[in-house]
Amino acid sequence: MQNINLIFTELYLFSGICILLMLGVYVKNSFNKIYNLSILLLIGIIFVIYKNGLEKSGIFLDSFISDPLSNFVKILIAVSSIIILFTSKQFILDNKISKFEYPIIILLAILGMFFTISSNDIILFYLGLELQSLSLYVLASIDRDNLKSSESGIKYFVLSALSSGLLLYGCSLLYGFTGSTNFELIKNELTVENIGAIFAMVFILVGLSFKVSAVPFHMWTPDVYEGSPTSITNFFAVVPKVVGLAVIIRFMDVPFENILSDWQTIIIFISVASMILGAVAAIRQTNIKRLMAYSSIGHIGYILAGVATGTTYGYSSSLLYMTIYVIMNIGAFSCIYLMRKDGVYTEKISDLSGLSKKRPLLAVSFLIIFFSLAGIPPLGGFFAKFYVFLSVVESKMYILAIVGLMTTVISAFYYLKVVKIIYFDEAKTTFDELKNFPTNSTIFISCLILISFFLYPSVLNNVIFNLLG
Amino acid sequence: MLAHTFFFYFFSGIAIFSALMVITSRNTVNSVFFLILDFISVGCLFIMVGAEFLGMILLIVYVGAVAVLFLFVVMMLNVAQQKQSWFIGKKSTHIPSGLIVAIIIFMELLVVIGGWKYKDNVSNSSSLVIDKDISNTHAIGSVMYTDYILYFQLSGIILLLSMIGAIILTYRRRENVKTQSYFKQISREKASSIELKEVDFNKGVKIDD
Repeated sequence: MQNINLIFTELYLFSGICILLMLGVYVKNSFNKIYNLSILLLIGIIFVIYKNGLEKSGIFLDSFISDPLSNFVKILIAVSSIIILFTSKQFILDNKISKFEYPIIILLAILGMFFTISSNDIILFYLGLELQSLSLYVLASIDRDNLKSSESGIKYFVLSALSSGLLLYGCSLLYGFTGSTNFELIKNELTVENIGAIFAMVFILVGLSFKVSAVPFHMWTPDVYEGSPTSITNFFAVVPKVVGLAVIIRFMDVPFENILSDWQTIIIFISVASMILGAVAAIRQTNIKRLMAYSSIGHIGYILAGVATGTTYGYSSSLLYMTIYVIMNIGAFSCIYLMRKDGVYTEKISDLSGLSKKRPLLAVSFLIIFFSLAGIPPLGGFFAKFYVFLSVVESKMYILAIVGLMTTVISAFYYLKVVKIIYFDEAKTTFDELKNFPTNSTIFISCLILISFFLYPSVLNNVIFNLLG
Repeated sequence: MLAHTFFFYFFSGIAIFSALMVITSRNTVNSVFFLILDFISVGCLFIMVGAEFLGMILLIVYVGAVAVLFLFVVMMLNVAQQKQSWFIGKKSTHIPSGLIVAIIIFMELLVVIGGWKYKDNVSNSSSLVIDKDISNTHAIGSVMYTDYILYFQLSGIILLLSMIGAIILTYRRRENVKTQSYFKQISREKASSIELKEVDFNKGVKIDD
């Protein structure tokens, strides 16, 4: 055991979880305290990760590694979870899902994600992924008296368990054909064409693309996003996607590096299909959470286009896209938290009509965030797409770039439709005036980042483009 | 050696007998009991060949959890008495198809076991280092708590999560349930619970005022 400090983040998080769990059991009506303490715990984690250092090193027979990529993704997860917990508190209290286990299960999901990202070994990777998915099943059905929430939990559980089974089958095949569970050793073993390993890779890719809801395996996304409480949907739409992308990059970068051309074809197909479906299927949606679900499928398509290049530049541009996607989605869902009329949260897009007259500030925030999601130039979303397409064109994958640009235009239609409803339709409903400081400030900050990204793109770029060095 | 042989035949005999009883007994609850007996005898056989870890796991997992679960299901579904039997009364229609499947499985096993052939150097092809001085459990424990401690602990966290998840999704705190409070009961004193009243002759006493 050379250096236990490498795993200190996870130890810190798990001890925190245990203490919070005990507090929750013995202190009466402890939701507020546990919730705030969880946020505090996550803020502490950022500092712990920050001290981790930049060199790559592993412990536990090299099954757990700490490197710049994992540290960056962990910080991204911690920050986005803090903001999500921060903004969704009002929603949770209003919808009476304020059980003290809520933040604890979110923390356990984050623990699983940390292990998944840091794993350099198939077994650890699978265990981490299961810890994460198991928490997400519970979270999806946490509003257990609501039929839709329970349904989404069951649906997610059944489909995700199937995909986990396929993933595990792939892992066992990979072990059988290479004789090792360690990523580095698998990479050394897979230098020549190996049909069995390609078979295994397909199964692993199926499992992973289910987790990021890429197209042939996206069926659960709209239903689960619609059924779960909005605070959980927000978490689903942001955090597991970051993990999924990081793990896909890790798999493509380390164990499957030598069979590049084989997995590239699959990723290109998944990417193109996601982009097309995300653009076309969202057009007819009337529920804003379903719209966000299809939008996230489309965005995953663009992100995977960067991965498909197989170059370090492509991976980095995907990570940059993911970071900006996280900012946009947190902003969008914070806006959705403010859609409340007469004490009931609404999800219909038609309820937004004429918002510009009554709540001009909220309307402008919707405008900025949806323009950014559509990828309209000076905003952050444009630069995310710009870097991804740049890397795609540099790798001479013109078809991928052309499909991407076309679907961007198509998807702009439904984003602009929402903006049109907000600005040009007749006002019908009035939302409650919510004094919700965390949500308002989050909307303000995310809009600010999206608007001003083009002034200092190097702040984020320098960090991300040096990760995979 | 004689004792070894004796115990081998003893446990195998019980195992085969109880396996037969599982499928022939009319009462489903009896079937489950014979299943438990079968598991225990097979566990004993495992211990006899030196695989004590496997034997104990068989006892704990199959007898302790799975068979008891079977028993609960059988009792809850109220299928204790089978309507059709093997030999007496109305003949079951499932038996011919079951027999056919059993015969096919038997033939397949014959083919597999009949064609079984070890590699020439089977005894030294394994790269595993087996220490003959320590028991199975010791060997498993010595890697599980050193090299694979992270996986082991992580599995523990997953089980903890599944426990929390099951509680959060099913537990309902019911109002107005009268529960026993030991503390209240014990801390009761004579002064607070008994009131002595002087009862006047021919007048009685007013209670509940």
